[in-house]
Amino acid sequence: MKSKPETSENGETPDALVIDDLTVAYNGKPAIWDVDLRIPEGVLTAIVGPNGAGKSTLIKAALQLIPRAAGTVRFFGLPYEKARSFVGYVPQRGSVDWDFPTSVIDVVTMGLYGQLGWIRRPGGKEHEIAMYALEQVGLEDFANRQISQLSGGQQQRTFLARALVQDAQIYFMDEPFAAVDAVTERAIIAIMRELRDRGKTVLVVHHDLQTIEEYFDWVTLLNVEVVASGPVETTFTSEKLRQTYGGRVSYLYEDKVKKTAEAG
Amino acid sequence: MFEIEGLFIKFLLNFFSNLEINTFLRSPQNTATIIGGLIAISGALLGTFLLLRGMSLTSDAISHTVLLGIVVAFMVLTQLLGQEPDLSSPWLIIGAAAAGVATVVLTEAIYRSGLVKQDAALGLAFPLMFAIAVILVSRFVQDVHMDEDAVMIGEIGVAWADTNSHCLENCEAVTITPDSPEAEFSRQCTNCRELGIGPRDEGAVFSEQCSNCGEYSPAQAWQAGLLETEPLLIFWPKSITVMTLITLLTLAFVLVFFKELKLSTFDPALAAALGFRPGVLHYALMVTISLVAVGAFEAVGSILVIAFFIIPPAAAYILTDNLSRMLVISSLIGAAGAYFGYDLARGSVLGLFQVDAVLRGLNRAFDLKLAETWNSSISASMVLMMFLFFFAAWVLSPKYGLLSTWLRRQNQEKNFDIQVILAHIFNHEGTDKEREELAVGTLYHHFRWPASTTRRMIDQLLSNDLIYIKDGIVRLTSDGKERVEVFRETQLARETVIQ
Repeated sequence: MKSKPETSENGETPDALVIDDLTVAYNGKPAIWDVDLRIPEGVLTAIVGPNGAGKSTLIKAALQLIPRAAGTVRFFGLPYEKARSFVGYVPQRGSVDWDFPTSVIDVVTMGLYGQLGWIRRPGGKEHEIAMYALEQVGLEDFANRQISQLSGGQQQRTFLARALVQDAQIYFMDEPFAAVDAVTERAIIAIMRELRDRGKTVLVVHHDLQTIEEYFDWVTLLNVEVVASGPVETTFTSEKLRQTYGGRVSYLYEDKVKKTAEAG
Repeated sequence: MFEIEGLFIKFLLNFFSNLEINTFLRSPQNTATIIGGLIAISGALLGTFLLLRGMSLTSDAISHTVLLGIVVAFMVLTQLLGQEPDLSSPWLIIGAAAAGVATVVLTEAIYRSGLVKQDAALGLAFPLMFAIAVILVSRFVQDVHMDEDAVMIGEIGVAWADTNSHCLENCEAVTITPDSPEAEFSRQCTNCRELGIGPRDEGAVFSEQCSNCGEYSPAQAWQAGLLETEPLLIFWPKSITVMTLITLLTLAFVLVFFKELKLSTFDPALAAALGFRPGVLHYALMVTISLVAVGAFEAVGSILVIAFFIIPPAAAYILTDNLSRMLVISSLIGAAGAYFGYDLARGSVLGLFQVDAVLRGLNRAFDLKLAETWNSSISASMVLMMFLFFFAAWVLSPKYGLLSTWLRRQNQEKNFDIQVILAHIFNHEGTDKEREELAVGTLYHHFRWPASTTRRMIDQLLSNDLIYIKDGIVRLTSDGKERVEVFRETQLARETVIQ
């Protein structure tokens, strides 16, 4: 069974995620630029920024799904090739074809393929683990459903269950709250909190500025470059938000400004 | 190849006599059905993944561009190495596979430039490679046996005739030299052609020439009557060997890497994140597809190959929600299409009736003077038969077929109307406005339905014991109440709330 390295050479616990000088470009145009980022272990982090800020790109580059122009990424002090077994990934729901001929339990079991390695097939033990994860997200009755019969929220919970079976130390979730209803959103955040309470690190690409303070304890403000990153109380300020979103003031942002103004 | 054929034959000889095997394979039908079936099975297995990846047309592109690989490999072998390869030569197959991969690489390179969409990139890459192949064939490979017919529809019908002869017993190769007792001699003019004169002309020089000298393989020796005991011979169609090997390879690839193929087809990003190298799998899939395309090229040409890749999986996709079952069903549909396709080419439709009889009937009825014997392209008939199976699945599939969808909708609409009435009664029963809302005579007003329709439904509800009428007011029976509650639970359910 995998376990993350407890200590680095100098005896300190390394940060869960350390990104240095990471740059990714599409056709010569930088999508993210010279990103330096440190996320400590055991926090629930929101990655926030306007459209085109490079939030998904940051995750994909960290997991080597797209080529990096420069920079290094380390998970608990290790490069991705060696950290794979304790990194969990939840892609955007729209990134797969939900008409694919497969069942909910089958999709969840896919999260275990990494542990199985090449060629070995999942068996009874894997089925049990997947069922347990489905119970955690409240989809146990849907195990044998064809995935095209799921609602958007159920699809998202299926993806979440698939990440849970990976039993990772650090999770990357790309817009898990996109187009889900309030009930599902509460359910997802409850599971994320539980993960955090078990010492896992969770990074979430998030859009709703109003819920940041309620849901997360760490925030990274991104707009191609990192504007700020740190605990929500000290980092999620109206000034930093203005820097991140520039002139494009959304009503959410105005709300936030108003709230901080009232509080101050 | 020859050695592998030997292994197949030794295996089969455990069960059948050489005579049985030869008789079986000498039938054009058996050989064509075997080859067609093998192409259909391997095509269906790989086509399933192509279909699910949204890459169906890639099989069409590859089936064309393998021609370039075949031609280039042919030229290298003949011009540079002085060999005389045929289509079952492994080098031609390797060349074809390389061309198939090159098609995909070229398409992706054009697409990645960001200036051309994916389908257009495919449309740019493969005609280019096919055009080069056509020019090379017509300019440099004059004597190669490759006519338009072969490229169009293939030669599956004559595959039985192109055989390797295998000798297993009494294998006496005979060499006749001028000193042998069997040698036959004839007098021939040695300088006639040179001088342009006839044998009777003056100056013609004659010498004794051996007319049957040379080396005889056991099969040739037996035919020429040079052997006393008949050698044990098997005549094995070359195409069967190639296609069997390709099918076994395809089957092994899909079985061994089933999990990896499934994951990288469904969610390539997760596959990459978990370290499964979807790119490598992608190219492995393309190489296997190229192999099947080149194996199929000789038999069914390059145009119809796509049908063997796409029609069976498309039918299976409608019939099942499970990937493993989809692979099995599409293979079965492909194989059945090949089997009944041969029959169709020879005029029999699924063994149910003869096309000849239909043509005769038409002639008699309308005096059309149609030719009454039906004999058509085998590969095209196989495709037609597969499409027939697809059509059946499309219309009749229990879950997604057009017919069942239509029936379900009809049923739902009818049910829905009944539920509307029941729900209306449920909502107003026992309220102050009961008399106004639930009076039998005016109930139809509330739905804006014709009075007669409403009356008919009420009669139906009464006879099903779901409602009863008291004092001119409709009321729900306990069965009726239950029906409403079940409907609310199943149809008005919100997403399951989780704790």
